[in-house]
Amino acid sequence: MPPSRPSSRPPSPLQGGGWSSPGLTIGSSSPHTLASWSGETSKSDDARVYPSFSTRNSGFFSRQKRRLSASLPRFRFMPSRDYQEKEKLGRGRWQLKTRLVSVLGPLLRRTRVRLLLVAIVVLVYYLRFWTGVVESYRRTSLGGGKSVVIIVASNIEGGVMEWKGAREWAIERVTLRNKRKYAKHWGHELEIVNLVARKKYAHEWREGWEKADMIREAMRKYPNAEWFWWLDHNTFIMEYSNSLRNHIFKNLASVTYRDINVYNPLNISHPPNHFFLDPRSRSPDGDGDPSSISLILSQDCSGFNLGSFFMRRSEWSDRLLDIWWDPVLYEQKHMEWEHKEQDSLEHLYAHQPWIRSGVAFLPQRHINSFPPGACGDGNDPQIHYKQHDRDFLVNMAGCEFGRDCWAELYQYRELSNWINRTHWERFKDSLSGFWKSISGSKEKEKHS
Amino acid sequence: MQFALPPRQLSTSHPPYIPSTRLSLLRRRQLKAIAVFGLALLTIFYLLSYFSFSRDSPADVTPAGTPNVVIVTLFDREGLSDSHIQMITKNREYYAMKHGYTNFFANTSDYLYAFGSDIPYSWALIPAVRHAMATHPYSTYFFHLNPHALIMNPDISVTSHVLDRKRIESLMLKDIPVVPPDSVIKTFSHVKGNDVEFILSQDKEDLTSDNFFIKQGDWAHFLLDAWFDPLYRSYGFAKAEKHALDHIVQWHPTILTKMALFPQRVFNAYSKDSPGAVVNGTYQDGDFIIRFSRCQTYDNRDCEQEMQPFYKSWQKSHRQN
Repeated sequence: MPPSRPSSRPPSPLQGGGWSSPGLTIGSSSPHTLASWSGETSKSDDARVYPSFSTRNSGFFSRQKRRLSASLPRFRFMPSRDYQEKEKLGRGRWQLKTRLVSVLGPLLRRTRVRLLLVAIVVLVYYLRFWTGVVESYRRTSLGGGKSVVIIVASNIEGGVMEWKGAREWAIERVTLRNKRKYAKHWGHELEIVNLVARKKYAHEWREGWEKADMIREAMRKYPNAEWFWWLDHNTFIMEYSNSLRNHIFKNLASVTYRDINVYNPLNISHPPNHFFLDPRSRSPDGDGDPSSISLILSQDCSGFNLGSFFMRRSEWSDRLLDIWWDPVLYEQKHMEWEHKEQDSLEHLYAHQPWIRSGVAFLPQRHINSFPPGACGDGNDPQIHYKQHDRDFLVNMAGCEFGRDCWAELYQYRELSNWINRTHWERFKDSLSGFWKSISGSKEKEKHS
Repeated sequence: MQFALPPRQLSTSHPPYIPSTRLSLLRRRQLKAIAVFGLALLTIFYLLSYFSFSRDSPADVTPAGTPNVVIVTLFDREGLSDSHIQMITKNREYYAMKHGYTNFFANTSDYLYAFGSDIPYSWALIPAVRHAMATHPYSTYFFHLNPHALIMNPDISVTSHVLDRKRIESLMLKDIPVVPPDSVIKTFSHVKGNDVEFILSQDKEDLTSDNFFIKQGDWAHFLLDAWFDPLYRSYGFAKAEKHALDHIVQWHPTILTKMALFPQRVFNAYSKDSPGAVVNGTYQDGDFIIRFSRCQTYDNRDCEQEMQPFYKSWQKSHRQN
């Protein structure tokens, strides 16, 4: 043992089992008061009286502590170590033996208690963190959540045209929170695109077509994602627990239809019947292979609806995004094409057969239910939201024209929260409902 | 000051599991072997499944004897004399026979029903090429040849003269204005020969869609359908489908990336009387093709008459009948 070492240590056994003299310790330390000096001597006296081993193995906690300190780096100098270790080992055993009987009962009880504690901790962690674990798993490449990017339009017509009022802010907050929550839950990427009226589009009168540019930008930004889900800002995802995979992608062939004659409000003649086209272009279902589907959209009562649609990364999509806006088409039609990019897509679909080979439709209520007020008063089973069927998404299309966007959004948000209550909330609600029905009937009796 | 404490004596410094280390080592080896074995097994399964699934279904296998190149010629039988059509047909058939290609002769009148009114007939070349593709689904390249063009040197095969990857890379004109003389959009300088699906040339004024090569596939359908859009047809481009092509090539990069421009003389040399040839774009003896450009549009020109001497010389040197 180097001579300087003992001075820095509190009185304790030397490695060899001997004791550092208290005098030595005191002498090398800085001046002490009398009280502390006597305290220390008495301590070291205690230590001298009782061998240090007697305090070992005396309880669970100190044993753990020793085990901990044993794992720290240690220095070995003394050659006579082995002998003493043996001795200590023997003593430890002896002590365990004597205690075994008396300790066994409480110990068993203690393990049970400990097990219970562990179970509780596990349960708490499960309740608290399991969703987090699952969600972060979905975000990994294995989980596959990142293969979908949700693109949400925000800030429509903001900036140059007008300042947003409180209602617009509220709408934006609610709708973005909605998408954020869904994206987080399923590990999808969320891309919020700013549709501030930009000079680039305004002077060419082509707002609306920036959709194509935004999707292209998102494709560049997330090079590993496969599907891009465009959502207008006045949409609301009603069912957070419904994954896109289960809802659409897993059964792409069976949930979608490629023959527009299934529902054809625009009366587009399908399939194209020109004799000079290839058989695939002339077939109503294209090649019938779901892997060739690159655009999934739905139709409302007046044709294509691009409030909620999916686009797959593919060469086909590159081409469509490229050809979607064309100055010659635009020059001739911009007065007619009230819905801009939507009408343009309808035109391309109707007149360029290659488009049809990549397009599939979903029944509207699959991804794009309408509230009453859009496309009629709410009775159309093809179009309007049904709470009973737990429709996936509501698109408050056209609410800015004479309807109240905020009121509709608020109503659907509350409805979504209510139909997706947890079991506990359901239980509470049913209790209070029961109570209300009792008290309500009593009150009625009183009134009557 | 406190230093790290030297260790206290441990009662358990001789852990009871020392003898077991050998066992665990053995165990570890076993485990390793099992893991390696399992991995190998998985790999084999993966490869097997990969190969069994990647095999094409028999329907997609190209039938034997399918011509690699289809020559598409569109005749406007109202505007061309029978003798003219016969000359051209013989010229094409001889060439196709020599190289194992096939011909697709189309009639403008077949496609007019799809046009709408007041649309120049020249638009018909687009559905004609699409028709050729539908008729020969297993052929790869489609060579649209203007009915006012003669193949003068049938010894040249298009596969090595034009369609070879290295040939494409060495011949294609990079970073030049797409539409002459000075359009802002220039051909890409980084296009690879394998990616090219559309080969054409320029004269002094335009891209010439009279002679071009196009590769069958989704991209070709995309180009032809977009090019044939009714709103382009009704727009009233001065040179009809030619200007429409100028337009879409400049506005849509997905089209430009698949396109290669060749020097005019490679497959589109102009006769001496044809206006608009680029420098070194006029026909010289030994060239692959001669074209009598715009011979119909001028009153003082007669296509058949201009063609006659060249047809004769071709007949003399290549057909001993």
